[in-house]
Amino acid sequence: MSDPGEALANAKAAADRIVKAKRLNACLTPPKELRQSLQKQGQAAHPSGVLYGMPVAVKDNICTLEFTTTCGSKILAGYRSPYEATAVAKLKAAGALVAGKTNCDEFGMGSSTEHSAYGRALHPFDKTRVPGGSSGGSAALVAAGAVPAGLGSETGGSVRQPASFCGIVGIKPTYGRVSRYGLVAFGSSLDQIGVFGRSVHDAARVLSVISGRDPRDSTCEARDPLRLPTVPESLQGFVIGIAKEYFPPDLDPAVRRACDRAIRVLKELGAAVREVSLPHTQYAVPTYYIIAPAEASSNLARYDGARYGPRYDGALDLRTLYRTTRGEGFGPEVRRRILVGTYVLSSGYYDAYYRRAQQMRALIAQDFRNVFDRGVDLLFTPTTPTPAFKAGEKLADPVAMYLSDIFVVTANLAGLPAMSLPIGRIKGLPIGGQLIGQAFLEDEMIEAAYALERMVPGAEDA
Amino acid sequence: MSVTHEEVLTIARLAELDVDEATLPVLTEQMSRILEFVAQIGAVPASESAKPFVPGPDAVRFRPDEVKPWPLAFGPDKLAPAFRGGFFLVPRLGQFEEEDQ
Amino acid sequence: MTAGGGWETVIGLETHVQLRTASKMFCGCSAAFGAPPNTNVCPVCLGLPGALPVPNEQALKLAVRAALALGCTLHPKSVFARKNYFYPDLPKGYQISQFEQPLATDGALSYLSPDRGLTTATIVRLHVEEDAGKSLHDRFPKQTAIDLNRCGVPLIEIVTGPDFRSPQEARRYLQTLKQVLEYAGISDCDMEKGSLRVDANVSVRRAGEAALGTKTEVKNINSFAYVEKALSVERDRQVALLEGGGTVAQQTLLYDSKTSGVRPQRSKEESHDYRYFPDPDLPPLVLTEEFVAQQQAQLPELPAKKRERFMTQYALGVADADVLTGDRAVADYYEAVVHAGADTKLAANWVINEVLGDAKTHQEQLRVPPGALAQLIGLVRGGTLSQQAAKRVFAEVAERGGEPRNVAEALGVVQVADSGVVARWVSEVLGAHQQEVTRYKSGEIKLLPFFVGQVMKLSGGKADPKLAQKILEEKLAA
Ligand SMILES: [Mg+2]
Ligand SMILES: [Zn+2]
Repeated sequence: MSDPGEALANAKAAADRIVKAKRLNACLTPPKELRQSLQKQGQAAHPSGVLYGMPVAVKDNICTLEFTTTCGSKILAGYRSPYEATAVAKLKAAGALVAGKTNCDEFGMGSSTEHSAYGRALHPFDKTRVPGGSSGGSAALVAAGAVPAGLGSETGGSVRQPASFCGIVGIKPTYGRVSRYGLVAFGSSLDQIGVFGRSVHDAARVLSVISGRDPRDSTCEARDPLRLPTVPESLQGFVIGIAKEYFPPDLDPAVRRACDRAIRVLKELGAAVREVSLPHTQYAVPTYYIIAPAEASSNLARYDGARYGPRYDGALDLRTLYRTTRGEGFGPEVRRRILVGTYVLSSGYYDAYYRRAQQMRALIAQDFRNVFDRGVDLLFTPTTPTPAFKAGEKLADPVAMYLSDIFVVTANLAGLPAMSLPIGRIKGLPIGGQLIGQAFLEDEMIEAAYALERMVPGAEDA
Repeated sequence: MSVTHEEVLTIARLAELDVDEATLPVLTEQMSRILEFVAQIGAVPASESAKPFVPGPDAVRFRPDEVKPWPLAFGPDKLAPAFRGGFFLVPRLGQFEEEDQ
Repeated sequence: MTAGGGWETVIGLETHVQLRTASKMFCGCSAAFGAPPNTNVCPVCLGLPGALPVPNEQALKLAVRAALALGCTLHPKSVFARKNYFYPDLPKGYQISQFEQPLATDGALSYLSPDRGLTTATIVRLHVEEDAGKSLHDRFPKQTAIDLNRCGVPLIEIVTGPDFRSPQEARRYLQTLKQVLEYAGISDCDMEKGSLRVDANVSVRRAGEAALGTKTEVKNINSFAYVEKALSVERDRQVALLEGGGTVAQQTLLYDSKTSGVRPQRSKEESHDYRYFPDPDLPPLVLTEEFVAQQQAQLPELPAKKRERFMTQYALGVADADVLTGDRAVADYYEAVVHAGADTKLAANWVINEVLGDAKTHQEQLRVPPGALAQLIGLVRGGTLSQQAAKRVFAEVAERGGEPRNVAEALGVVQVADSGVVARWVSEVLGAHQQEVTRYKSGEIKLLPFFVGQVMKLSGGKADPKLAQKILEEKLAA
């Protein structure tokens, strides 16, 4: 079906482009290793696969047999996984190439790719700014044109937020659509592997390949892979909800302008646009910052220097080994979240924090159900309150960093599919619009995105 | 909701994390701010009947009882920072030693 | 019931039982005992980054059967939870267990208490969890060696109320529990291989007091033989403390079988705060009515039921019925003997005395086939074999096999019912014991058994005793 030499040529060209984009510090794989592996993969790739020869950059918290899997952390420096993630195995089976491992906030904890033990990743268009995070490395490589697609992961917007900042398409599927086997856990009830593409089509077809059942993940639904919709002529029959909570009075006017333009396009395409309310939205970020750290504090207990990963000192007794390995191996943001998570689960605080947050999460999910039950098919919102911020700007204030995820964490809490696509630029910096869909109806969301992508001038100032 | 230095140290011990003297004040202050921030959900009237929401399948699926381990490309000896005679090795800890001896 | 001096002992037990599965609880690794270290391991049970648990169907079936066997209320929805703590043989830093919503609660197990007769222990909860690995502290100097083969092996934890009033009761409960679990094929309950482990909560109080005393937890009781010993040691320690005006400290103690003493487990700096929360990697465990019914159908008749049935169906006393139903194989054996035509009471005596006696010295094997035993019992009843001779035949059949009838003949122990032959033996005996004959004739008729015994002796056990007695009576009356 494809030219058998095509993959090898693609592999070589991708390696060249990724190495050329080195200044972004988006790819953690050393150039020599990258070239060698891509050459080998290019030769071995299966020509009948639907992604034959497509280089896909993979976030460094997804296990691959190629390259190390460090999660952007010192505690996994040099770690090679003896198995690969289901999503990666599916990509390879479809003929795709693992085009290096990409920089990220340590264990996915961050919104700027500044919290990486291997240095911050740079925004592809403005090196003083962040590419977003935590999947900033994959986003930057795709935006820089080094690879057509990349894998990221989301716990609270970590694909959509960098997609918005970098001006590309980022999709987070429904929780349970893609296997988490081999995705290094951060907040297990929130985590999903997501995809980046330069176009809706590239992102969607990669998502389709990695989706579907997996006997190794109990939380993965036993469903067939996502079927790709065709590009629609119009959005006749679609009801798009605009939730007022996502357009607060203090929203950046330029972001509002870009959204208004996109909403006009939706109407022109024949969609019915309806104002709706999701009353518990304001509690999403605090709810998220209880549940995610709580789960993380448990998920990250395994990094103790006993079975894998480096040991930092502590050769004399076990407790010292634990404390120094974890104390040295984890960066400050991870340490903070482990402590917060440990605190909210600890005896005497569980009810006030964790149990409460679970109830809050139910109310947030119910908000969405109420809207969808009343005939709304999709919600349209800004992805981020602002374009890419300056590096260092929010480092000293963790809460301010958390609030930059205000529009994206809800979909993770409710387990819904959501995506970001470019809807314009503000002083040259991209800004994304978000579509939030109903569970397992990614096809409808992607259909709307196809239409929007064609009609909204994503690369033009709003 | 603010936390004290002592509480931070207690939690750090529970989480097996070294916290040095120098970072303790900053960490305490940041943790207090984060906890204050997230505690705002306590202001919403609690509905006791609210079932916690968990995404994913409603019921767990079972695996047949077959000896069929998910494969490892290489053994634990290649992973471990210390491995001898088939065992992972860690330094002893007095208070942990008692159990099996 | 009391520990002497007016003290009452209160004991509750937490028993961990390994379920009889081929593979582990959450991964496809072998659950077999005894493999070289760290060979039955995979990404899941090594706790590698990114690995996820998938529960074993058979383990759940066995856990449900256990809950049914113990009369528990099964919950249609239960939840796996993480128990978080750091320990080198716990690779994920948490154990997958159940906490707020366990599989089953509110069961009961009745057992024969040596003090109180048939007694009921309450089962507070029964939940599913995974085992940890093994830490070896004496393998290498200054190092702890970790073997993760056992890590992830499926367990159920069975927690009783503070129901036992003596170490003996606790031991009888455990034996009964083991019986039930073995019967139902749930576990092989081998304490030496660690497939049954028990922790005990022990406290004492003044007889008649309602409030419970401060309890200690006794761990590391790794053999059935030590259960009673360990609990007695701890009870005595507490009584001595209180009588000396001291107080009992709530703590965890380890039993040391070498010194027959308990010593405190050096406590962690923090009190245990396991930070339980629902495991987000595992959706709720939902039991359909159909699934539960299927497991119910898989349960055999359990010891208590069987004991009752034996008592009514075979007209046995509680003690005999208890022994015969203690082991499923023995109960089945007994019933096979009865079905082969043996008298129920004689069969019970034979099984309890000869068969189990023989089994004790021959690796618990029931060496005489049930059909053969039934035949043997028939031979005794029909007067072909004396009780004495039958025991010899039994031993011979057990050792070398064969039909009891043929074996008896080959041994030359078949009873002689030829009146001419027996009469000759009688004459000889009477001739040799003139004095006794005189005494008999003067009214001392209680000497009759003596003459019968002498005839039996003379005949080498072959004379039919009934016939011998008849001829004796005739001749002595003449
Ligand atoms: Mg337990
Ligand atoms: Zn395993």
